[in-house]
Amino acid sequence: MNRYLYDGTADGLLSAIAWILEEEPCPEQVALAERKDTLFEEGFFIGTDATQAEDLLFRLRKHAPDAASTLYSFMLAEKEGMESSLLHYISLVFTHGDKVNGYLTHPAVRDIVAVAKKAGRELHRMKGLLRFEKLRDGAYLAKMEPDHNIIHPLAWHFSRRLRAQHWFLYDVRRRIAARWNQGTLQFGTIEQFTAPALSEDEKKVQALWQAFFKTIAIPDRKNPRLQKSNMPMKYWKYLTEKQEE
Amino acid sequence: MSALLRSFFLHYISLMDILAKLQILSGAARYDASCVSSGSKREGPACGTGNTSSSGICHSWADDGRCISLLKILLSNDCQYDCAYCVNRSSNFVERASFTAREVVDLTLDFYRRNYIEGLFLSSAVMGSPDKTMERMVRVAETLRTEEQFGGYIHLKIIPGSSSELVRKAGLYADRISVNIELPSQASLQRLAPQKHKEAILAPMALIGREIASSLVERKTSRLAPRFAPAGQSTQMIIGASPENDFQILRLSEGLYKKMKLKRVYYSAYMPVSDDNRLPVLAAPPLLREHRLYQADWLLRFYGFSAEEILSDDAPNLDESFDPKSAWALRHPEFFPVEINRADYGTLLRVPGIGVTSAKRIIAARRFSAITPEGMKKIGVVMKRAKYFIICSGRSFEKTDRPAALLRQQLLIGDSSEPVLPTQLVLPGIFS
Repeated sequence: MNRYLYDGTADGLLSAIAWILEEEPCPEQVALAERKDTLFEEGFFIGTDATQAEDLLFRLRKHAPDAASTLYSFMLAEKEGMESSLLHYISLVFTHGDKVNGYLTHPAVRDIVAVAKKAGRELHRMKGLLRFEKLRDGAYLAKMEPDHNIIHPLAWHFSRRLRAQHWFLYDVRRRIAARWNQGTLQFGTIEQFTAPALSEDEKKVQALWQAFFKTIAIPDRKNPRLQKSNMPMKYWKYLTEKQEE
Repeated sequence: MSALLRSFFLHYISLMDILAKLQILSGAARYDASCVSSGSKREGPACGTGNTSSSGICHSWADDGRCISLLKILLSNDCQYDCAYCVNRSSNFVERASFTAREVVDLTLDFYRRNYIEGLFLSSAVMGSPDKTMERMVRVAETLRTEEQFGGYIHLKIIPGSSSELVRKAGLYADRISVNIELPSQASLQRLAPQKHKEAILAPMALIGREIASSLVERKTSRLAPRFAPAGQSTQMIIGASPENDFQILRLSEGLYKKMKLKRVYYSAYMPVSDDNRLPVLAAPPLLREHRLYQADWLLRFYGFSAEEILSDDAPNLDESFDPKSAWALRHPEFFPVEINRADYGTLLRVPGIGVTSAKRIIAARRFSAITPEGMKKIGVVMKRAKYFIICSGRSFEKTDRPAALLRQQLLIGDSSEPVLPTQLVLPGIFS
């Protein structure tokens, strides 16, 4: 079994996969891993070639759009140690096309689809659970700590939704921020975050929301277990309605 | 008093007012089961706020575990009617409040801009007359859409008895409109809600159905034709406040889905909010019954079952110990075992433990290779139920010719590891 290595970047991963698909007669028999530079590491290193990576993405999008979006969600997960599965998955995409996502009895397909699903689920969840606070200058800020690196698609969602508003998203753990102002969306990293002052009426609106949240539940039907399973506690930190407790 | 102090004072009063009103009027709206925001897709206006997403988005989950996606409130709880089952009936002693249109508009926008909600769900008690009430509700939606350029989701309740002109107007501003059927039969309606009439409920339903259909036709010829309630119409009925059996209820729902083209029928277990002597005395709200009805409702809508297959005049109520599909399977041993690698979609759906998702996955995976018993688990089939009813390329998992009584017992044992049944509304999409 041939074993290959790449440099650990997303571009490196995709260009390595493109190279293997081109050169190896039987990509399903091949293993791919990140180079760790340990003493006894075995394998042939494939250099990064950004154009090859891009070309692979282009062909995937054209050939199998569903699989391409699965790949996109998979990359959001920043999952390590699944390179071989991804290689086998993409090789299957080129033989079977979009139907491949139905091949759940194949271990590589199952693993990649499962990870992509999880990232997609968190993205959908955050579309609901994100909370903006109004700042003194009239802009809105939302902080979050998602498991997956979803700030790009999430910012795109809000750019369609809160178009007339000036807002920021901030991924606290990854220190990435998105900013939407007058029709342009920008991304950047933030070295040092200082919490800006809130607008004067912000606390009042938050109190209204907290009151609504409390009264909308039917007291005879209290079910904290179901609440937690739908809305895991890891998200409560930034939820306005969960701040008092 | 200085001008500043006075303005501060007035501001304080008005804020207290809104908070108190919100508490009263959201508390009064919480028994409405509907909270979906799906089924409508709208690009937001360039200079406005909000769009809708066809899958719908939940923004929070309340302490009862139900999803919060809309700001669900009444415009007023000051009701002229005296429906026995309702908290807001005129003879009940509760605090009364009413919002102005502006207050609702501001609340909706303030909440939407902070991403608390997907939009507004507005219902109301009957103030004065149905038309007067409906007019005020429509004005809220109109202000949101035209003055504020609001592109988010709006669900409006139709007050039975309001004019068809207002119903039409409501449908042009709202994504979904609904008329509550309240009780499953005319007789119960007469007894418990004497001011509401069956015709006044069914007439707007039929009107809405026609308008939706003709708007869809018009939009085929012109993209600019106005949309009428793009997310369709739904209704709700109260379960357990009147003597109808499950068979009557399911047949009614089936008719509503088929003839009125409703998107959803909601069932709401009767909560004892009144000690009116026309109502039954219940030890606890019939939550399990509500859950079983939702399961049966799913069978009607997604599994190709008819009400007559699920229940009959001889057995008019749903089995409490089995989900309706397992109950059907137990009554029809001749249908089984089903061959996983050959059966068509409709047949797969009839197997207990196989839902819409796994049936589709089975069909997709079969294209690549025959499915093995191990493959079944990977696909996500609930094997502890399905194993008694299927074979895989001729191989069976359990003896499939077990006598019915034994099978019943096996299924019950298999189920006993499940958590105790929900004490609230669970969307039974995964029950299969």
